[in-house]
Amino acid sequence: MLSIKNLQVSVEDKPILRGLNLEVNPGEIHAIMGPNGSGKSTLAHVLAGREGYRIDGGSAYYKGINLLELAPEIRAREGMFLAFQYPIEIPGVNNTSFLKKALNEIRKHRGEEELDAIDFLDLIKKQMKLVEMKEDLLKRPVNQGFSGGEKKRNEILQMAVLNPLLAILDETDSGLDIDALRIVAGGVNKLRTKDNAFVVITHYQRLLDYIVPDFVHVLSNGQIIKSGNKDLALELEERGYDWLLDKAETRD
Amino acid sequence: MESSQNQFSEWLNKQIHSSNSGAFALSPELRATSLSVLDAGVFPNRKNEEWRYTPLREILSQSPVLADKTQINPALIAAFKEAVPNALHLVFVDGEFSNEFSGSISALDKTGLTIEHISTLHGESRKRAEDTIRQSSLSDDNIFQHISLGLSRSGLFIEIQKNHEVDRIVHILHLSTKSESRNFSNPVHVVRVSENSHMQLLEQYASIDAGKALSVPAVYIEVADGAGLDHFKIGLESNQSDHVSNTVVQVASSGVYKSHQYLLGSRLTRANLEVIFSGAGAQASLRGIYLGNADQHLDIRTFMDHAFPHCSSDQHFRGIMNDQSRGVFNGMVLVRRDAQKTDALQSNKNLLLSREARVDTKPQLEIYADDVKCAHGATVGELDKDALFYLQSRGIEKAEAKLMLTRAFAAEITQEIEIETLRSYVQDRISNLLDGVHASNV
Repeated sequence: MLSIKNLQVSVEDKPILRGLNLEVNPGEIHAIMGPNGSGKSTLAHVLAGREGYRIDGGSAYYKGINLLELAPEIRAREGMFLAFQYPIEIPGVNNTSFLKKALNEIRKHRGEEELDAIDFLDLIKKQMKLVEMKEDLLKRPVNQGFSGGEKKRNEILQMAVLNPLLAILDETDSGLDIDALRIVAGGVNKLRTKDNAFVVITHYQRLLDYIVPDFVHVLSNGQIIKSGNKDLALELEERGYDWLLDKAETRD
Repeated sequence: MESSQNQFSEWLNKQIHSSNSGAFALSPELRATSLSVLDAGVFPNRKNEEWRYTPLREILSQSPVLADKTQINPALIAAFKEAVPNALHLVFVDGEFSNEFSGSISALDKTGLTIEHISTLHGESRKRAEDTIRQSSLSDDNIFQHISLGLSRSGLFIEIQKNHEVDRIVHILHLSTKSESRNFSNPVHVVRVSENSHMQLLEQYASIDAGKALSVPAVYIEVADGAGLDHFKIGLESNQSDHVSNTVVQVASSGVYKSHQYLLGSRLTRANLEVIFSGAGAQASLRGIYLGNADQHLDIRTFMDHAFPHCSSDQHFRGIMNDQSRGVFNGMVLVRRDAQKTDALQSNKNLLLSREARVDTKPQLEIYADDVKCAHGATVGELDKDALFYLQSRGIEKAEAKLMLTRAFAAEITQEIEIETLRSYVQDRISNLLDGVHASNV
């Protein structure tokens, strides 16, 4: 589904990703861990199509399409979703009408009929239960006046409504208390099917107690330096990153 | 002064000495001062700090006309009434009151409302109307006020008795029709809201069939003790029209004045709004949007005069400028020595949608009291790139995302309009203007 080969990306002439490889297949959950500044969020943003990054080399294909040539909105319509680490507050744009607009853009792209207000409300109310979100948040502007936890739940709500094929969760666990973490992870688990895939970017092993990954990758200095199964995350929890980083340096 | 600039002055001079002087609305005593100002004929220029950014060349180089009675298709008028369908509509066509299109007006109806022509006022009511004007001294006593006061032939006196709530919105609609030269219109309206009463007023300016206008209205308002006025102004005149208005509002003890101004039309608009607190505990909230396309020049000046203690004012003005349009916000909050416990806020935010668009913003605070809470600020910028990306990342096209964010920028002001039909009317007008904006930019 997602095939990243030797991806090299820089920001303002500073190399951030230095030859990253990643293969994600339908039904899989991949966790990407790594210390601060290793390039985790850059990877998420580049995959979603944010401006301000220079691609220096390599490729990223999604469903066989060259991802790096697509506008962000086309990536979304093709079934990609990024849950933001810092969801943006958008004053004046109503949360519900924004999400309805987004869903209908995606449905139009797929050749499906647009949902009217009533069907959409049914759908969103159903999905809100999944993330245990208060209904009055629907009436507010996007993320405005939301607590940190509410913003993250709103991301998962959007994911549930838009029903992506490939979801990238960028440090969705940061700033969440344990209850919120459980709710967010529960949402992800309920959305999981054999056809979709998740890339879960996280700094801590904690989230992976709730979202059990098939693969764990350690990103350091713009490269994946080690991959393994969920036990790798536990090992990292116990030993930290240093033993891996030392090894990577000696290998250089 | 260049000769091309004299055209308007010369035309005004002819009006002053017109034989038909009986038709003027205000008393000779009140007009006398104004006529002497007009005789001197000094228009503000760029050296005048209050008018620095307002180009008057076009206005001064043309002679407008006093339109003859024009026939209008009533169906065309209906569209302008839809903002407030159940209002008392008071329609002026090319500066003249239209009985045909207006609701009936009378001195003191059973709801406590008086609406009369200023030109036919007499006795006590004339005195009250003219007293309101006399007490309304502008900090910027510009010549345009005197064009209204000295030469006006039309205008309304609107008064609500004590302890009344006017259940119908009063809608003053000024329309200009098609003509070779610009139709001159310089009404004077006086609005008095008596003790503990409340009313809603919509002042609207628009063109029919791309009619051209030079509008120079002056509006004088008194909000008495414990009274309230919600005052809306919508400018939708054609792009060959110019509009220079002066509005002076006095708010007495515990009175509440709310103003919304939406400057969406005309080639040039200069809207002066001065609010003077004349008693303690009064409140004012001023809102406004100016939205320009092509080479429009939209210019708001506010003057907020805190002379009494325990008064509060808050101002939120937003500019959306596209193409080569230019916006100006010049706002002054003056807190005088006795105005302790003043709470004053002034904010001006501007969105530039094109590289050639321009905004000059000048928020000013002058404080002479020591126990006050005052804040002001201004921003000029582009759309938030992070918000744009966020919307795009959810499947919304960039152009559409820009439109959503621009509408949202305006909606933060318009959502405060409590009258639902009026709110959607304004929001629809803004949306239509923005559709044009973004179609041209994509």
